[in-house]
Amino acid sequence: MSNILLMLAVFLGAFLIGYALISRVPPLLHTPLMSMTNAISAITILGAVLLFAQPTSPVEKVLGGIAIFTATFNVVGGFAVTDRMLRLFRSRERQS
Amino acid sequence: MTVLVDFSVIAVLILGISQFRRPAGARLGNWLAALALGCAFALVLARHGVDDVRTVAFALAAGTAAGYALARVVDMIHMPAMVAFQHGAGGVAAFLVSLVELTRVGHGLGLIGEISGVLGLAIGALTFSGSMIASAKLAGRMRQAPQVLAGHDGWALFVLVALFVAGGASFFATAGLALALYVAVIALGAGLGVLVAMRIGGADMPVLISALNATAGLAASLCGMVIASQLLIAFGATVAASGSILTLVMCRAMNRPFRGVIMPRYKAAPAAAREAAKPAPAIAAAHPGPNSSQGGAPPATSGRDDLTVAVLALAEARTVIFIPGYGMALAKAQQEVANLAATLIARGKTVRYAIHPVAGRMPGHMNVLLAEVGVDYEMLVEMESINEEFPATDCVVVVGACDVVNPAAVEVEGTPISGMPILMAHLARRVVCCNFDLQPGYSGVANSLYLRGNVTVLEGDARHTVASLHERLLAGGEKSASHTAPPTAQDAQRQAALALAGAKRVVIIPGYGMALAKAQFALVKLASRLRGGGATVNYAIHPVAGRMPGHMNVLLAEAEVEYEDLLEMEEANPMFADTDVALVVGACDVVNPAAVEVEGTPISGMPILHADRARQVIVCNFDTRPGYSGVANPLYLYEKTIVLPGDARQTVGDLIALFDEV
Repeated sequence: MSNILLMLAVFLGAFLIGYALISRVPPLLHTPLMSMTNAISAITILGAVLLFAQPTSPVEKVLGGIAIFTATFNVVGGFAVTDRMLRLFRSRERQS
Repeated sequence: MTVLVDFSVIAVLILGISQFRRPAGARLGNWLAALALGCAFALVLARHGVDDVRTVAFALAAGTAAGYALARVVDMIHMPAMVAFQHGAGGVAAFLVSLVELTRVGHGLGLIGEISGVLGLAIGALTFSGSMIASAKLAGRMRQAPQVLAGHDGWALFVLVALFVAGGASFFATAGLALALYVAVIALGAGLGVLVAMRIGGADMPVLISALNATAGLAASLCGMVIASQLLIAFGATVAASGSILTLVMCRAMNRPFRGVIMPRYKAAPAAAREAAKPAPAIAAAHPGPNSSQGGAPPATSGRDDLTVAVLALAEARTVIFIPGYGMALAKAQQEVANLAATLIARGKTVRYAIHPVAGRMPGHMNVLLAEVGVDYEMLVEMESINEEFPATDCVVVVGACDVVNPAAVEVEGTPISGMPILMAHLARRVVCCNFDLQPGYSGVANSLYLRGNVTVLEGDARHTVASLHERLLAGGEKSASHTAPPTAQDAQRQAALALAGAKRVVIIPGYGMALAKAQFALVKLASRLRGGGATVNYAIHPVAGRMPGHMNVLLAEAEVEYEDLLEMEEANPMFADTDVALVVGACDVVNPAAVEVEGTPISGMPILHADRARQVIVCNFDTRPGYSGVANPLYLYEKTIVLPGDARQTVGDLIALFDEV
């Protein structure tokens, strides 16, 4: 039971802290923000790898393999594209 | 100890996100978040190990290669489609992990795990299918316009209920049956995603993408509850928070409730009317015959002079009545008629539609067609009420109607239509007929209306003739439309270049049209020329400009605009009063003053960029038609506005050349 409470607390805590922080992100950065959080949402890759922590049946292998593939695609693509975008944002001061 | 390590990883993630407060720190923030994710991944590997290293390594390598390759080549304009596609990939991973965990024998998940798992299946599948539709729409692989099924809400409700039933039943089912139910939950979730996403289009896409961002995070969090991983729960929750915030911000920027975007209500088109509208195409298709040539080549017969006369009649009129007939339905001209009417209304004219009881192919046919394109039903007037008003009407526009306006019915005895009540269009001061040809109508009685002195006939496909009427009206029917177009267009460009040359402060307002025309690079060139001439140049960014939150900022950053020059709406609006030239490039609804000046339009109450307050306005839009909202933009008609229609990249290029000259 305490496990459930802990999980709910973690969810709420992370949601509220995230909400407070992200509310302060300027509209200028909304596209990179979404693209980065998009990469973070592929944290399901942990779950996908966990499936392989024990012996797997062929069906599980296929499904798990697809899950790892799509999640990795999402993580790597998300962070890479965010970085590409953020490199484009340039400031007058830093330029010179 | 484990908990402590987990929380430090979460702390790194939060530190990363907090870096997004400033553009300068955002890059570091992105890498911190990636580092946190990498640490979490390493922790899971270290704690649990991997049984089948080959499969895992292969999937990881393939995913990395594909993700990186696509991230390197994607265009900034296609970023919304890319992000939507990645959301979809995340959704797949979420529901697959939940599925395998739920069906795995040998370890009990507990009730919470099972509930989370089933919810994870549904939300993961919904994220997947919704994202795929959104991505296809954004990449142009699917029609962008909202698509509405008959009884759309009913279907959505049915799927939702079925989802709960299947999900609920799975808790009590035996292993074999449970698997079938899980698959059903996935299918139903995917169906719901399709139903929601398909009827959202165009300028509403930012809301859809933001909402899918939130559901992707939620799916990840639920996945975390299944496997009791704090890391997954926390990471997913921050994403859910981010998506929720962006959804709210986008809705606020359009002044529309979330519900209104997700479940749009088409004004004055109740379900019954939509149902009734369905047989219309079938009827049209069943009547090939003489009408089959409709919608083909544009008319060759309607002379330039007739069009000018018609445009002037409309421009000078204070009261206008439209008379739609079945020909309008055949030519599918109702949208063009409604657009023309909107422009006339925006110019302060009184506009109504006169509906003959037998116009069309079924009772109320015209009403349905017009309601479908958003015409306010209060503007639709029945024959008895409107007939006495024709003598006091300045201009009547007949669109595809013949017998119902044939004066022979009341003036000549012994014809098949003698005695039939008609709409007394011929009594109006001027009449413009947008009919396909001068042949008699169904009754076979020649229409004497065409021969009267106050009548101008524009023969041809009504959709085309009404649209060209509208264009000519917008292009300056106010003064004299008789001049030929090319010199005036050049004059307008020269005038615009002169205005820019004399300006001390210029604010550029980019919209999605700029992105489509890829005009940002030319625009930046123009801006640096203006700066060279001593002017201050800024870019004003509306929160919903483009197809996802912050889209314009990315495109301009790519064109090497410094972000200090990008102003948010709240910063920019007070500046317009002191701005010499507001340069609108491919933006329409976000600068439409009707949003604040007129009640009851779809954009009323939406905050806009007040380009209208600048001393002079230059509009480089593709055409002067309404934007996604369908509301005509009166900004184009202001005296201080110079409209330069055409491809924005071309127009801006021409402006640069002229600017260098003057």
